[in-house]
Amino acid sequence: MSTEKDYQISPVVQESIVHNSRTLFNFQSLTASLFGVCAGILGLESYTGFLFYIISTLLTCILFYALRIAPSSIASGKAPFDTSRYFRGAFEFWTSGLSGGLAGFILTWTLFYGLVRA
Amino acid sequence: MAQIPVQTIHRDPQLFYWILAPITVVMVLTGILRHYATVMMATAPKKMDQKTMREQRSLMHGINLRNNYHVLSKRSFNVRRDALTAAFESGAYLKNPDQRGQAPPNPLSDPSAMDGMMGMMKNQMAMIIPNTLIMSWINAFFSGYVIMKLPFPLTIKFKSMLQAGVATRDMDPRWMSSISWYFLCIFGLQSVFNFILGSDNAASQMAAQMNQMGAQGTPQMFGPGVDPDKQFQAEAENLAVIEHYSVLDDVETRLLEGIRA
Repeated sequence: MSTEKDYQISPVVQESIVHNSRTLFNFQSLTASLFGVCAGILGLESYTGFLFYIISTLLTCILFYALRIAPSSIASGKAPFDTSRYFRGAFEFWTSGLSGGLAGFILTWTLFYGLVRA
Repeated sequence: MAQIPVQTIHRDPQLFYWILAPITVVMVLTGILRHYATVMMATAPKKMDQKTMREQRSLMHGINLRNNYHVLSKRSFNVRRDALTAAFESGAYLKNPDQRGQAPPNPLSDPSAMDGMMGMMKNQMAMIIPNTLIMSWINAFFSGYVIMKLPFPLTIKFKSMLQAGVATRDMDPRWMSSISWYFLCIFGLQSVFNFILGSDNAASQMAAQMNQMGAQGTPQMFGPGVDPDKQFQAEAENLAVIEHYSVLDDVETRLLEGIRA
């Protein structure tokens, strides 16, 4: 009950949250496709390819946080790596890119692997 | 254990120009076409007469009051609740007050209900027709070729799906035929459409199917076959059980604590 009351005292606008999540999703699906191109040109196979995807997606998340969120978030008194100023859940922020961009990653990975190597 | 030698297949590089590129280009263009077809076929919302509008808006008023009661002071909340509950229970906002208590009309016979179904039908057709056409086009022209190798291994179960039309028993399931490139395009082109058309596009059928699933999960509020009188009664009951508090309760203590810190 107290958390609900906290939300009501300092409300979060739903439209802004949706806009933020959509921006993040666009960014991540675009970078996922580009990482697929990288993985294909490097000729990564099976586990190394997926590992490359996971690491690079996390890296983009960290960069996104550091460049876009951290300056105003830390200035407003939030702890480091706290995204609650702009996003609903922290877990969602750090992991949504993994599932959202996977299909695009596999598509471009296969395409460029097929063009360059096989 | 003997190492299984890596299979290599020498393929004509022309396969890329005559199979891979056409399928990809056609898939992208179909997505763009589907987006614009959906935009063009979208019907403007129908104009409602005053009574219907009043019925729906007063119900929305009740719901909004229930969701946002914490910004009102106790007195103004009570006044609003009393007025709305009295009106809801007496049926003052109903479209036809003389039809109270009767069964709702059959949704199939209601002409206004047909619009929603037509819209759904149109969307379905916009997905089914291009899919069938492209599938049969690929099957007619490009079946039987091995065009690419997946960069990750798969189990033998995928063989029948990926190598449809290539009847070679011992081939590694990593080799894929043109139809499986088509499936990869269906799943993976969403990001390309995001890039070309903006993020709320109607190009990808995967997204469209997701939307439909979500829409089926939530019941239609003002749809046909829903008795508005029952909705009003339920809303009056919901309003009656609210235990009111305001966000301005104890605001002075919170302010003082914020200043002191």
